[in-house]
Amino acid sequence: MNRRGFLQLIGATGAAALAASCNRVSSAVGTLSSSTNLIRFPEKTEMILLTDRPPQLETPIHYFRQDLTPNEAFFVRWHLEGIPTSVDLRTFRVNVSGHLRQPLQLSVDELRSQFEPISVIAVNQCSGNSRSFFEPRVPGGQWKHGAVGNAKWTGVSVKSILDRAQVKSGAVDVSFNGLDVPPLPSVSDFVKALSINHARDGEVMIAYAMNDQSLPMVNGFPLRLVVPGWYGTYWVKALNDITVLPKAFSNFWTDNAYRIPSGPNGTESPKDLAKDTVPINRFNVRSIFVRPDPDETLHPGMPNEIEGIAFDSGHGIKRVEVSTDGGDTWTDARLDSEIGKYSWRRWRASWTPRDRGQYRLMARATNAIGETQSQGQWNRSGFMWNVIQQVDVKVG
Amino acid sequence: MTPTIKMVFSLGLAVFVAACGRPSNVSKDADHSIANATMESMLDAKPDNPVHTIVMPHDEPPFPPGPGRDEFVAACVVCHSPRYITMQPRFSHATWLSEVKKMKAVYGAHISDEEVLKITDYLVSINGKADSGQAPKGTYGE
Repeated sequence: MNRRGFLQLIGATGAAALAASCNRVSSAVGTLSSSTNLIRFPEKTEMILLTDRPPQLETPIHYFRQDLTPNEAFFVRWHLEGIPTSVDLRTFRVNVSGHLRQPLQLSVDELRSQFEPISVIAVNQCSGNSRSFFEPRVPGGQWKHGAVGNAKWTGVSVKSILDRAQVKSGAVDVSFNGLDVPPLPSVSDFVKALSINHARDGEVMIAYAMNDQSLPMVNGFPLRLVVPGWYGTYWVKALNDITVLPKAFSNFWTDNAYRIPSGPNGTESPKDLAKDTVPINRFNVRSIFVRPDPDETLHPGMPNEIEGIAFDSGHGIKRVEVSTDGGDTWTDARLDSEIGKYSWRRWRASWTPRDRGQYRLMARATNAIGETQSQGQWNRSGFMWNVIQQVDVKVG
Repeated sequence: MTPTIKMVFSLGLAVFVAACGRPSNVSKDADHSIANATMESMLDAKPDNPVHTIVMPHDEPPFPPGPGRDEFVAACVVCHSPRYITMQPRFSHATWLSEVKKMKAVYGAHISDEEVLKITDYLVSINGKADSGQAPKGTYGE
């Protein structure tokens, strides 16, 4: 069959799929929207549906009341339609090649048995988490605050693999590719790269376990790159290729996509777009309310528990302040103990409102080097949202 | 992977799409029961099974009839669910036009310049902003 025939056939089956509908549950989850669409994917619980093909699934906020986000509730974001749906561990290999002396083909069993395992608790957050809050609105995945999660990742350091592969001098970048494939030859394969020094820092790792279990297929089974403190775009899923390069890596996904204005906090004006852009990189500081529910009515004259999470790129959260009067006055929240520098840190505050009425709650996190959250922010791609969150609640 | 293999892979997924889900006005009951039987056997993998397989669910919203719908269905849903449209806020004609142009120029969608305009008009008609000069004529059936 020629190429056009293929395309016509795919178009026809795609059209047939328009009417198909699986496992759909429409309900109000009481978190953010009364018209939230929930869907259950294999190995996943009911998630907020953004798109089904390729899947983009958001975590309902109440899961963030747990320090570690359950695998079944961890957010999902793929770029290319051809995502892996079947992996045979007998034949699966991660290929390590390029500017090195000893190319390797490693099975998951070999990674588990021949290398020293390491673990880290780390936040993974989509570059576009909270994109739907930007004004003016920008095209892209319309996430609310649930394209983030915190998990214990276990695997082997990329450094230990590259050491065995004996990288030659003059290496510049290391690229990482997964099993996902573009739907058309004209679409760039999703490949990301890190500098050789970053890849060899001993923290960047290939995870074969997430919260001590295998990864769900849609979260990158059997192997996923973990880049602590960096946005999820670098955390390549279903990783099966590592290539060491003697020159800077270049492709659509780094040269054109996932770039931020080079100025402070990746911000620019809609009327005056930044000329200079850089690849998105480390998380900025942010905080997310997990309690109360937006639909919850609080009680006057008694303590109400307010709770949230805060994280940054690894310096550590040192302070979270809470306002219950729309930002006029602030008091320090209590911080739970740190469970890892790349983990999020839980904060709590007890609030006793005297009177019934409407109140605006706000939370502002600050990290160990004094970085804090923004008052206002915009960029054309809807990346790196960290505006101080406002939650309107009713006391009645 | 070679382009040919990628296309076969893509076609395979498209067939999965068609096989999945409740009976619809395009899939016959017999097909549906076969699809379900396949799904059950594939999900029945034992923990020590070295082959790990899932079957993807699909939940694609129906799109209303209108000028440009045929071009939209033929050109866009090859690569992604129409939910890529329905999850967006109502955008102006200019924003939708730049998105469709991006699909052609950057991702290589197989559409002519004329089809770019037709598809843009269709997207504006179902999910456009009133101030874009073309009032939305319908909704996308959420």
